[in-house]
Amino acid sequence: MTGSGALRFLARRVLHSAVVLLGVMVVVFALVHLVPGDPVRIALGTRYTEESYQALRAASGLDRPLLEQFVSYVGHALTGDLGVSFRSGEPVTTTLLQRLPATVSLAVVGLLIALAISLPAGIWSGLHEGRVSDAVVRVTSQAGVSVPDFWLGQMLILVVAMTLGLLPTSGYVALSQDPAGWARHVLLPGLTVGLVAAAIMTRYIRTAVLEVAHAGHVRTARSKGLSPRVVTGRHVVRNAMIPILTITGIQLATILGGVIVVEVVFAWPGLGRLVFDAVAARDYALVQGAVLLIAVLFLVVNLVVDVLYSVVDPRIRLS
Amino acid sequence: MRRPPARRALTAGVAGAAAGMLLLSACSAGESVDLDGSDGGATGASDLPVLRAAIAGEPDQLDPQSTSSYFAFQVLENVFDTLVEPDENLEMQPALAESWEVSDDQLTWTFHLRDGVTFHDGSDFTAEDVVYSYDRIIDEELSNAWKFASVTDVEAVDDLTVDITVSQPTPNLLSNLGGFKGMAIVEQANVESGDITTAPVGTGPFSLASYSPGESIDLVANPDYWGGEPGVGGVHFTFVSEGSTAIAALQNGEIDWTDSIPAQQLEQLQGADGVEVGTSPSNDYWYLALNEAHAPWDSVAARQAVAYAIDRESILQAVSYGTAQENQLAIPEDSVWYTEYDEYDLDLDRARELLAEAGVTTPLTLNFLATSDYPETVTAAQIIASNLEPLGITVDIRTVDFATWLDEQNTGSFDLLMMGWLGNIDPDDFYYAQHHSDGGSNAQGYSNPEVDALLDAGRVETDTDARQELYAQAATTIADEASYIYLYNPSVIQAWSTDLQDYTARSDRAIRFRDVTLAGS
Repeated sequence: MTGSGALRFLARRVLHSAVVLLGVMVVVFALVHLVPGDPVRIALGTRYTEESYQALRAASGLDRPLLEQFVSYVGHALTGDLGVSFRSGEPVTTTLLQRLPATVSLAVVGLLIALAISLPAGIWSGLHEGRVSDAVVRVTSQAGVSVPDFWLGQMLILVVAMTLGLLPTSGYVALSQDPAGWARHVLLPGLTVGLVAAAIMTRYIRTAVLEVAHAGHVRTARSKGLSPRVVTGRHVVRNAMIPILTITGIQLATILGGVIVVEVVFAWPGLGRLVFDAVAARDYALVQGAVLLIAVLFLVVNLVVDVLYSVVDPRIRLS
Repeated sequence: MRRPPARRALTAGVAGAAAGMLLLSACSAGESVDLDGSDGGATGASDLPVLRAAIAGEPDQLDPQSTSSYFAFQVLENVFDTLVEPDENLEMQPALAESWEVSDDQLTWTFHLRDGVTFHDGSDFTAEDVVYSYDRIIDEELSNAWKFASVTDVEAVDDLTVDITVSQPTPNLLSNLGGFKGMAIVEQANVESGDITTAPVGTGPFSLASYSPGESIDLVANPDYWGGEPGVGGVHFTFVSEGSTAIAALQNGEIDWTDSIPAQQLEQLQGADGVEVGTSPSNDYWYLALNEAHAPWDSVAARQAVAYAIDRESILQAVSYGTAQENQLAIPEDSVWYTEYDEYDLDLDRARELLAEAGVTTPLTLNFLATSDYPETVTAAQIIASNLEPLGITVDIRTVDFATWLDEQNTGSFDLLMMGWLGNIDPDDFYYAQHHSDGGSNAQGYSNPEVDALLDAGRVETDTDARQELYAQAATTIADEASYIYLYNPSVIQAWSTDLQDYTARSDRAIRFRDVTLAGS
């Protein structure tokens, strides 16, 4: 790919993402306004009086025409102003940025653990279809997919933290504050997220490798008498990288979007728990902001994956 | 207007239900290595160890006069002071006011303030701070403004004297002023800068050192505290909504104290090494209310029929694993305001007679308004549905989120509902708003002139014995006429490490750490 071609590709992808983002904003905005129940009425709860209702409605701009509200919402969002939380009175952007490091920590550690397990297991299993080792991997990953993450988390706390006393049960320490403390605290939730993701990814990777292994060009390569090592490395794994990248991107985005149950079990201050609490408290500005941030994270991950596609396989262009 | 039990039940309840079933029984890891000792975050001003406490949820904000979150009050109990405060027996004792007297006509209360008290930022505490704090609650109509209903004026006589003028004798003024930290004395500059929501400045035994949202709050001991320097260097609060995780952390020595405890794990926790469990019947109560705007529930006999048909014992077991205390009136047994009453035994024949007397024709459908945010309402609704079935009453359970629940309660779209009330100290708090014809929380629409007169008289009666008699009479009439069908007082359940000394689980749920010490660390 030439330099200008790459730039054009990137520009088109970014534009594409911007359109999707605008769509997300429309949906989120509409949801808040279409959900049954008046958010102002609900926010006031037992403190409801006609005067306080009108006052809060005016203060939150809900008395203005819908289109005007939407334009102002988008305008503010573009400058990073996502409004103020109903409950805490803090800017939503500040709250979200405070939670981001914990979420990114958990996602990165979880994904690394998932990749460390699923890449070798999935490729091995795919290349040894029908053998005992393949069956072991398949059964194990099937079991892994079936285990609920809250149960796995509790078991890890029970065994690793309490019985063996190796790691703390819960809590979070910022990486910038104390790297060793961060590592000890992130390991158990990271393992929980990682093991569940590994089970899912192993199955995808195995299938991807199998599909390629059965493809025509691999048969040709084999029949040309190339060594199994070359066939596997150059033809099978390389060509399986596209679906592997796809599933890795999806898993990363999912973890970034919040693994609520794991965060609750390990008292992890990530986005998932924030959204959970905000929904429970009907903190609409916060919910709206968090959904938007998660959407942005998804789009960024997708963009990176798309760019990586063309690195792995130069034939791929934006269609 | 008042709120039902604060949000504490919400997060813990929802998340605890599923994972709480997991067994932690197999392990007693009291001997586990504490790898986490460095985790305290704050270093106390002194060399004393920092207490690590896990509460079940995160405060919404830290302004004591604005928040209604119990999680906020758990922290703020240790940061702020009130003019007077309840002791362990919930009797009012001096705090920022050293003494007080009431004028002969009962209309002027004079408070003499403690000399030499400073806020955490070093500025002096004076009478002006009291005036500012109370005026703020009244003028901004904050949620506690109703506690000043009879107050006409708050005035600083000099730096250390405050006069409070009331429009009628107000025997419960002290418990209104000091019952909880929602009535705390705040600092004007702290409020006006807006910092109070995240960096509050009080006069209490600990000051706020840092707040990491979602993660932790660190308090550090206030060496100049008027009540003497605290026995620990500080308190590190973390938010652990998952009860089994909090218990694991306690048994693992990572925390010293928690109240994030699922009731079903209480028994095994009581047998654990190195852990002390404190329980106390709380001032909260849970009740049923029938909507008297909907026939046939406007009839006393019909309401009584329901009261005779429900199986309290089963409800108690199902919602609290037997940790709650059955009660047929609002105020718990160990309160000085307790009145004995046990009219309603399970008696289906009596229930049928009463229905006939009320002229109720069955089959009949009853709409039960429950909320998933308080799972006990859903559990109890299922039991009540089977209790009322033999009477020919079909219970239609509607489960909504709490915000919708509040809305429907206020608009009267229910036949029967169940909810809890965060009890306070004075009997007026337990009965007036709920059962007076003009009460602000009388969603069931109960109106009885005789009860109104008793509750009005109780508000101004200054003789304690006479007051007791008035409330006993009001409470039994309310229960006789089934304005509320009272169920139980839940227990305060807390657990701490045996290293933590001089801590008491209080029935008002105030978490006070100023007098505790930590041994062996």
